[in-house]
Amino acid sequence: MVTETARPVLVKMVEQGIELVKSGERRDLHLRLEQARQRLLDPNVRVIVVGEFKQGKSQLINALVNAPVCPVDDDIATSVPTVVRYGDPASAYILAPRDGADAAIGEAEIERLPIDLPELASYVSERGNPGNKRKLLAAEVSLPRKLLAGGLSLIDSPGVGGLGSSHSLATLTALPTADAMVMVSDASQEYTEPELRFLRQAMRIAPNVLCVLSKTDFYPAWRRVAELDRGHLDTLGPDIPLFPVSSRLRLEAARLQDAELNTESGFPELIVHLRKEIMGQADRLQRRSVGQDLLSVTEQLRMSLQTELQALQHPEGSPQMIARLEAAKQQADELRKRSAKWQVTLNDGVSDLIADMEYDLRDRLRRIQREAENAIDQGDPGATWAQFAQWLEQRSAAAVSDTFVWSSERAQWLAGQVAEHFAQDEAALPILHIAEVGDALEPVEDMPVLDDGRINPMQKVLIGMRGSYGGVLMFGLLTGIFGMALINPLSVGAGLLLGGKAYKEDKEARLKRRQTEAKTLVRRQVDDVVFQAGKQLKDRLRLVQRSTRDHFTDIAEEHHRSLADSVAAAQKAASTYTAEKDRRIQEIRTALKKLDALHAEARALAAEVRAAGTEAGPSGTEVRAAGTEAANAVTR
Amino acid sequence: MNASLLAETQGLLAQAQRVYLEDAAASILIQGYSQRLQAPLRIAVAGMVKAGKSTLLNAIIGEEIAPTDTGECTRIVTWYRYGHTPRVTLYPTTGEPFALPIRRVSGRLVFDLGTRTAEDVERLVVEWPSQSLQDVTLIDTPGIGSLSSDLSARSLRFLTPADAPSETDAVIYLMRHMHATDLRFLESFSDTRAGHSGTVNSLAVLSRSDEIGAGRLDSLLSAAEIAERYRRDKNLRKLALDVVPIAGLLAQSSRSLRQSEYEALAQLSRLDRNTREKMLISADRFLRSTQDGVDEAARASLLERFGLFGIRMGVALIRGGAKDPTSLAHELTRRSGLEELLRAVALHFQDRASDLKARTALAGVESLLRDKPVPGSEILADALERIHATAHEFRELKLLATLRTTGVSLNDDLALEAERLVGGRGVAPEQRLGLDDDVPASELSHQARLYLERWRMVAENPLTDRPGLEVCRLVMRSCEGLLEESSAAAGH
Repeated sequence: MVTETARPVLVKMVEQGIELVKSGERRDLHLRLEQARQRLLDPNVRVIVVGEFKQGKSQLINALVNAPVCPVDDDIATSVPTVVRYGDPASAYILAPRDGADAAIGEAEIERLPIDLPELASYVSERGNPGNKRKLLAAEVSLPRKLLAGGLSLIDSPGVGGLGSSHSLATLTALPTADAMVMVSDASQEYTEPELRFLRQAMRIAPNVLCVLSKTDFYPAWRRVAELDRGHLDTLGPDIPLFPVSSRLRLEAARLQDAELNTESGFPELIVHLRKEIMGQADRLQRRSVGQDLLSVTEQLRMSLQTELQALQHPEGSPQMIARLEAAKQQADELRKRSAKWQVTLNDGVSDLIADMEYDLRDRLRRIQREAENAIDQGDPGATWAQFAQWLEQRSAAAVSDTFVWSSERAQWLAGQVAEHFAQDEAALPILHIAEVGDALEPVEDMPVLDDGRINPMQKVLIGMRGSYGGVLMFGLLTGIFGMALINPLSVGAGLLLGGKAYKEDKEARLKRRQTEAKTLVRRQVDDVVFQAGKQLKDRLRLVQRSTRDHFTDIAEEHHRSLADSVAAAQKAASTYTAEKDRRIQEIRTALKKLDALHAEARALAAEVRAAGTEAGPSGTEVRAAGTEAANAVTR
Repeated sequence: MNASLLAETQGLLAQAQRVYLEDAAASILIQGYSQRLQAPLRIAVAGMVKAGKSTLLNAIIGEEIAPTDTGECTRIVTWYRYGHTPRVTLYPTTGEPFALPIRRVSGRLVFDLGTRTAEDVERLVVEWPSQSLQDVTLIDTPGIGSLSSDLSARSLRFLTPADAPSETDAVIYLMRHMHATDLRFLESFSDTRAGHSGTVNSLAVLSRSDEIGAGRLDSLLSAAEIAERYRRDKNLRKLALDVVPIAGLLAQSSRSLRQSEYEALAQLSRLDRNTREKMLISADRFLRSTQDGVDEAARASLLERFGLFGIRMGVALIRGGAKDPTSLAHELTRRSGLEELLRAVALHFQDRASDLKARTALAGVESLLRDKPVPGSEILADALERIHATAHEFRELKLLATLRTTGVSLNDDLALEAERLVGGRGVAPEQRLGLDDDVPASELSHQARLYLERWRMVAENPLTDRPGLEVCRLVMRSCEGLLEESSAAAGH
């Protein structure tokens, strides 16, 4: 076991670094370390709890923190995501868009309003806030709990799969920013098809997935269900942990102060896993990046000092040294330029990605449109329009979420590629396997023959079911379908009673008209979705591009700056008088000593992290996490 | 009223038989339809995987014959119908049907398919000498949303075939919560294609209601509240005739409560409250506990048959005064919601059995006419149209569907009253008139007359628009029928 450096020691190291940087004029490096310090002081490990509704997600969080924070009800589900994190004293807030700001615009202006903790239920559950009428974005609860003290925040998400659920896509989009996802399913039955489908999708974008089998106190056959679930999980990927737990037993145990009952609840294992694996991994990542920051900062500082020292001690070698430095500077300069290889990779990659994404989205939606039109040809769209509109919405949402998963996966991969091209001291990143992605996205359903023009109801239902994880779009972009109010199915019903041929003909004409009208509406709707969702997704990718570029440009800038400083130092040294020379050498030596000490510590830290990493075993998630680290740094 | 519709339908089928004399395949179909008209009503039990379909089926039959399991269990569409002697017949997808040996493990049937896989089997037919099956044939279906999408597809194909009328006349649909998939399925089952009758013939069941609230004693009350909310839900309302909560496991097991089980429960009820609560805190603890003097095998079997909730409930009932197995079984059954379900089945399905069967037969003829038009089929189509337009039962069903889906241009109170009068709460005169079961016939006819007059006034109101007027006429016709019936009864 490698003894890990305590967090305060890390903070101290970073502070030392800041001290050293301060004396120089390197604001850029200062900023970098300052950020590292902030991250260390306020770590945030986000664990998002997902699952179908009524599986006991809220209760799981309550049991984890031993407090009834998330409202639990037999019938009513959670409608607003709730974040539970550390804070003393206990408090609660709601996040809502400022009055007048449009919720669809999102990040525009968000208000953080304090509320009474007991009142939380009236804000986050369907009962108090049906369909999230209040348009809340989230609720935050702070609790003084030891479990949370390490920076763990638990996010209770609204269940997916609910009626007209708008949550599934929102949940998916939140996944890449979470450190881990906990999938909750109760012990009453093995995983259903929609659950596994969600897992499969989520696993592609969430860095860590763990599964919880809830309510084991109530179902005598939970071991059997656990076994079945285990089997399903093994088909999805290796080493997905599954924890059978009982929130009820855990809460009872806390009430009765019964340690044995607590053990039986299965929570200790889950908490250990959260602490050791999830927190541990986040911690390791953080140590690693702190170590990296310190190493790079000290190296850069050292470089200019050492150059100066060299120039002072051996003035005769200065010209060659300066020439070498100039050459390096040139290289760093190249790296900053748009024509640098990594920049080309990034720019080309993003344009390709955007084009592919748009094609993908359009393709998916076109297929939906075709299905919809076939369905309309089948019968009278007037009578079932409401359901039909819902179906269409869900299908489009599912399509958008597929495209989203796919494009964020590609974006991550691209970031990795860029990092690789940029690679310098940092070891080469393992490449994520893009090949795996390909076949998963192969069109699932066979394209119906065009002139066939029929789609049987069974197919229709299947198609509908496939979309059951969909919901209204994340940004509320589906504004609903209007315009069918003109069509009154009742007139058809009454007409049927009359019978007679004349009416029939008229009816056919009217039916035709309705069908045409419905098709126009569908087409318009699909266009809207392509337009809106396409824009959102494109913006996201552009954001990835921008932050990737900024991230690496900053590094290149830093290097360039350091090299320029070194050149300047060497030149300055050449013109220094002998009397000053000795004093300066002395100064530099002292500074270097401090720097070297810090550098050695940072190196030790990096080694420690690496050792701990291998000790924990090169699990799939570990490798993944390492691989996505760089990517996450820029996609977040 | 019913007799005439049945006769008309039979007449139409006979006519169709003559028209399609040349076509052997069509003849067989028509023959099938007319046989179905005579046979018991077919009710399918459908729902998502693990909703408790087979358990409920056992509860309705009153015997634990359908196999149930923790994992996904029913993989083949299985028919349970009445027969003098037990018999199981396997219908393969290709080839001749043959009898399977009857094998039972602790009461439940075990279907030994031999070398065949579930995919090779089209259906299993179980004939069973059970009283409950005498006037209804029950059909167990594989769950929807199954991991093997093949099984789900099978259920859907069976329940909502693309090109023929459904094999079943009505559906009991089980769900644990209202899931989007549930609604979509019900939608596909309710007949919404253009030109069709557009009737609703599903009954939604909130199953495993004992698991709501993880087995607290008031779970069933919670379940009843949820069912009430679903009943009012406008999405579900138009797809299902009613929503009934049921604790399937309790219903199934309490019908066959054994003396030994009663004794074990009684033993538990004598324990001190604290000890018992500690013991019943989790299934594992209950299995492990030693304080009750009930041996382990008995505890395991109790748990399997009744679940934690059933045990808690049983103990509470014994403490509350259930003195013997019979009264305990009775109480448990009553609380499980089974009686309510059976009442709803009788109300919505059995009382309307002939209408539902006739509807299926007519839909069959209709699809035949559409797919295989032959000379003479126009006459048949006209006859069909006539039945559809004139049969009062169909018009009632259609109005019911309209009332539940798109609504009518009458105010809400009137719409609700219309729904009741045309038989939305049951077709018996008392139910239509919203009266108690034991009111005298004279009172019935009096009430019917009042309703008739009231609706006549609505009809004469100049503000009532044309579609509203249609509704009024239909309701008045129903009232007249009621009046006729009750006057005749009063006259005797």
